[in-house]
Amino acid sequence: MFEHVAPQLFNGLVLGAFYAIVGIGLSLIMNLTGTINMAHGSFMTLAGYLAFTMVSRGTSFWFALIAAPIIAVIVGIVVERTLVRPLYAREPFYSLLMTFGLSLMAEEIYRLIWGPNGVPFSPPPGLEGAVSLGFMSFPTFRIFIVAVLVVTMAVLALVLTRTRFGLRLRAALQDTEMIAALGTNTQLLYAVNFGLGILLAGIAGVLAAGMLGLAPTSGNALLMPAFVTVIIGGMGSLFGSIAGGLLIGITISMTTLWFPAASEVSMYILMALVLMVRPRGLFGEEGIFG
Amino acid sequence: MKARTEVLLFAGFIAVFAAAPAVAPLVQLDISIVSEVLVTAIAVMSVNLLLGYTGLPAFGNAAYFGLGAYGAALSVKYLGVHFIEAVLIGMVSAFLGGLILAPFLLRRRGIYFGLLSIAFGQVFYFIAYRATDVTGGEDGMNIVRPYLGLPAAHVTLNEQSFYYLALVVFVVALFAFRGVVRSPFGRTLIAIRQNEARVRFLGLNTDRFIFVALLISATMAGVSGALFALLINFAYPLELDWHQSGYFVLSMILGGAGTVWGSLVGAFIYVIGKDIISTITPLWQIFLGALFVACVLGFPRGILGTISLLGRRRGTPSGTDVSAALESQAPTGASRGV
Repeated sequence: MFEHVAPQLFNGLVLGAFYAIVGIGLSLIMNLTGTINMAHGSFMTLAGYLAFTMVSRGTSFWFALIAAPIIAVIVGIVVERTLVRPLYAREPFYSLLMTFGLSLMAEEIYRLIWGPNGVPFSPPPGLEGAVSLGFMSFPTFRIFIVAVLVVTMAVLALVLTRTRFGLRLRAALQDTEMIAALGTNTQLLYAVNFGLGILLAGIAGVLAAGMLGLAPTSGNALLMPAFVTVIIGGMGSLFGSIAGGLLIGITISMTTLWFPAASEVSMYILMALVLMVRPRGLFGEEGIFG
Repeated sequence: MKARTEVLLFAGFIAVFAAAPAVAPLVQLDISIVSEVLVTAIAVMSVNLLLGYTGLPAFGNAAYFGLGAYGAALSVKYLGVHFIEAVLIGMVSAFLGGLILAPFLLRRRGIYFGLLSIAFGQVFYFIAYRATDVTGGEDGMNIVRPYLGLPAAHVTLNEQSFYYLALVVFVVALFAFRGVVRSPFGRTLIAIRQNEARVRFLGLNTDRFIFVALLISATMAGVSGALFALLINFAYPLELDWHQSGYFVLSMILGGAGTVWGSLVGAFIYVIGKDIISTITPLWQIFLGALFVACVLGFPRGILGTISLLGRRRGTPSGTDVSAALESQAPTGASRGV
């Protein structure tokens, strides 16, 4: 029994770490500007494909892991300044609709450039193979993924709590007008915050490409679990997103083990249960976002 | 809209659509596409009731649409029911789906309601997708269009008679919809959109109103879905997917949120546009995405709303920029207009 459960549990945690980091990006953007970014998955896919192109042109995986998310961030900020910004004054559902349109366009564009089928994107040499953990062996690349995601989240937590930018960001969540009156350039804050969300999506996108494969729709497949993560964890809570992501990851991997047909439905049932007990999610704060 | 204008509009609508089977072939349009317009318009109306009138981002109506489609298709395939019974079964399935989801959806308002609608709607998508033995899974399921049923038990519907049936159902749905939004109940929904707290202070249980609106909306979407399955003789999981909900919302915005006729205009543009563009180029999805972006940024009041805004001097605007309505709390056109 144990030899089946342990690897699945680990897989669930890796998957959960992805949901968490994508969820945090969504949550950052949602909380500050009320924008529901349905194109978040498209930015993941973009970073994945960019990394694929770089690696197949001969650059190293390490360069691609840094460069591809940065290019995605630049694209993201351009999109934010031109298309998303006009919607800040309006109901969030317009941004949902607009970014949904963007994701439809992006999917088709990826299909044009990189073809309709998945492309192979294998882990770099050195991260292939498996590590023996004594009681089980586990793919090295997945351990690497967890390490990168954990470091990324730790850096993010430090940025949010220990830097001036993080302070402004958290203050803006409470009262955007007040912080504007105190001299912060809120438009710049919005743009940087959006870029930060895309950066997280981009890093996750490159890593996910190596683990889950790369196809025009692959980012969007992670989008819905990420939304459920945010709903379960509670809006506006970094810790909530992490807890929610891991909870979903484990739930999915465990149902896959015992009742594979229900693996996708399980997270929605979990969401229903959480909402019955706590309508704002596990760690959601009163007042933030309806 | 003045009563006389509306009577004229309705007469024009009946004249045009009654003649459609004769006219459509002249412009190389298959009559089943026009049927699809009418059927889709009913689903768009169901979104309009929640989003355009009540101000709730109804991003999950594909679930009810798909429940209607699968309810009808499964009952035709496994129970051998007639056409009319299949539509009724689809309607009831969607109603029950709404009944199950409502307690969860009612917990939140605003965009959270939309996210919950999307997420819970996906449950039905994955059930249809995974229950391969029963539903055919990803491949969908073919059905043979059954006899009409009582009172004409042994009449098979060809495309033209299906069209007239769809027209009748659409007109009934339109009048039911118009009746609902003009009733005190419908006025209360509009009031909830404008300021829910104030409605609650008046002593009304807004949850109960939204609950009923949700059930009406689910039932309408179910009728639409059942007819759609019987139109194409096919049911497939993507009917339940949230993308489909997005297309309904887009059609509603295109036509004009909070207008009675906007749903038909929006469905017309969406279905005909999809049909024309997808035959010209395989890149239909880029155009569709661009349509979303242009629509949101360019004309949030929709086509009917924009037209009536241009003709504002002659009357009150009928379209609603939902965000403006939600934010300003001022009475907007929809409360007085169509």
